[in-house]
Amino acid sequence: MMFSFLRTREVAVAGLILLTIIVVSCVNGDFFSGQNARDILIAAAPGMIVACGLTLIIVMGEIDISMGALMGLCAAVLGKLVSADHAALPVWAASFIVLALGAGIGLINGLLVTVGKVPSIIATLGMLTALIGVSDLVMAGSTIGNFPDSLRSFAIGQVGFIPVPVLVAVLCIVACVVLTRYTPLGRRMYAVGSNPHAARLAGLPVQRLKLLAFVLTGALTALATLISAPQLDVIEAGFGRQFELLVVTAVVVGGTSISGGMGTIIGSALGVILLSLVRTVLIFLQLGVSATYWERAIQGGFIIAAVLADHVGRKRGGHS
Amino acid sequence: MRYLLALCAVSVLALVSGCGGDSEAPKTTVTVKEGSSITIALLPKKKGIAYFTSCAEGAEEAAKALGNVTVIYDGPTDGSPEKAASMIEKWTLKGVDVIAVSPNDPSVLAPAMKAAQAKGIKIITWDADAAPDTRSFFINQATSQQIGEAMVDALIKDMGSVEGQVAIVTATLTAANQNAWIDAMKARLADKYPKVELVAIKPCNEDQKIAFQVAQDLMKAYPDLKGIFGISSVAFPGAAEAIKQAGKSGQVQITGLSTPNAMKNYVKDGTVKSVVLWNTKQLGFLTVLVAIAVKDGTLKAGATEFDAGTLGKKPVVGDQVLLNNLLIFTKDNIDQFDF
Repeated sequence: MMFSFLRTREVAVAGLILLTIIVVSCVNGDFFSGQNARDILIAAAPGMIVACGLTLIIVMGEIDISMGALMGLCAAVLGKLVSADHAALPVWAASFIVLALGAGIGLINGLLVTVGKVPSIIATLGMLTALIGVSDLVMAGSTIGNFPDSLRSFAIGQVGFIPVPVLVAVLCIVACVVLTRYTPLGRRMYAVGSNPHAARLAGLPVQRLKLLAFVLTGALTALATLISAPQLDVIEAGFGRQFELLVVTAVVVGGTSISGGMGTIIGSALGVILLSLVRTVLIFLQLGVSATYWERAIQGGFIIAAVLADHVGRKRGGHS
Repeated sequence: MRYLLALCAVSVLALVSGCGGDSEAPKTTVTVKEGSSITIALLPKKKGIAYFTSCAEGAEEAAKALGNVTVIYDGPTDGSPEKAASMIEKWTLKGVDVIAVSPNDPSVLAPAMKAAQAKGIKIITWDADAAPDTRSFFINQATSQQIGEAMVDALIKDMGSVEGQVAIVTATLTAANQNAWIDAMKARLADKYPKVELVAIKPCNEDQKIAFQVAQDLMKAYPDLKGIFGISSVAFPGAAEAIKQAGKSGQVQITGLSTPNAMKNYVKDGTVKSVVLWNTKQLGFLTVLVAIAVKDGTLKAGATEFDAGTLGKKPVVGDQVLLNNLLIFTKDNIDQFDF
């Protein structure tokens, strides 16, 4: 049981990450360093946090693509609330408000999907556009700076030798793994995704479960903002833009079926690490200025190759 | 080609001369005739933001120095082009002498600008240009060439060496302004600093997190990296933070184009030595002088030079008057600017 679980996409993605690290380290020895591993994990932390929530949404056959825009709004609001140039609220109060904002937007998304019966891709696409608009209003085309050190420690502080963002990401992953694998609530979510009709007939609260996943994703997006936005001295208007692309791709690369019912938190987290690696890898390969315009194509090609290799490998191995 | 050479030459001069000018008592050869007065309406893209406010201060200085000049500084506080157009219409009815426009949407403003011209009001543009048939002159704060070269020269100066590896963190690979600057930067490097090697150009997709990570990775992948250009207002602070957190302030130099407020902390803690931008006060000052010269007919099409008094002689290329005074903010002067 334990081993059959491991013989899935997680192993494939973990293997690919390992292979990438080995190959790149051979080309450029500087890649293989503790500092680099630390930086990569910090960079992947917000993605891993949000992927936890998104995995649950996708497992239940829905989607959310408003996370990047929500991140932008959370960052703008956080900046306005905490900055000494603006409201100068205590950090704990501002963090609480931002988390509530994230959960609130998640709730609206969830209500649109469950009560409003709007297809989730359309509901969250609308939300994405609206949130970008609101962030632009809040930011008014300027930057926000002048933050207290206590806020900045969310992103650049450490507990022992572990960076705060990495610690928070690990805690989120552990909590969601426990939720999905060891609680009835988690198992019901998978049941909803694999056979919504049967789940409803069995009396599962399908709509409430979906609502919960959207609220959780919203709150996690706000949390991801808290541990990434204060990384810098200033908050800019474009914060978080296109972040949803990374997370959605990572969740799918990590083995979550876009049609629902299948997928794991660990797989999604590994997917985020793999995708976060790509940009770093391209820099370490030292392809030079001439490769500048190839970067996107290489990134895309890498993702397609990763998924394809896994599919081919699994067919040969007798798994599907 | 001659145009390019001329620009190279003047941009060097601009860098050498640095700030200066607006602190001394301004004298200028542009004068207002005894007994007459002139009213200039100055329209920013958006009123109430520090950048334009500081331009307006320069315009007021010019008006004060000349006497008999009234500058009306007004614009939409929300940056709405429709409101900007209605302000031009209002000023047309009121009968001002010159309207200097920084168009936030040239096509929306065009009818109002043309209507004003038909009434005999002189229209010029400043800060941003509009279609040539809607204005007589454009006061251009800096060409792409000048900006690119100023950034290269500033970084080389901060590096204190004319060799080593440098990299660029740009906005997106499709950003037209940035690409024009990059071309100018490459040309400048090849031309004047052949031993400086440009190892990478990386987009940050206008996301400060990505700018931060890219700069972090560049420093690790190229341990000998001497300098980074952060050439957008997002790329610059993101990359500066990466240098600071890596403890490489002083080892890896960074410069770029940004407003002083966004970079103040990094300049004060020594991570950033130079921030490139044009002198906003001088832009306002020059706009008023050009407005007067256009009104009284001393600046006509075909001119090649414009005498801007204390600001010096400014080149006129086609129908553009070039400010040619890029400003380098350093820890010594950055506190004088608040925008």
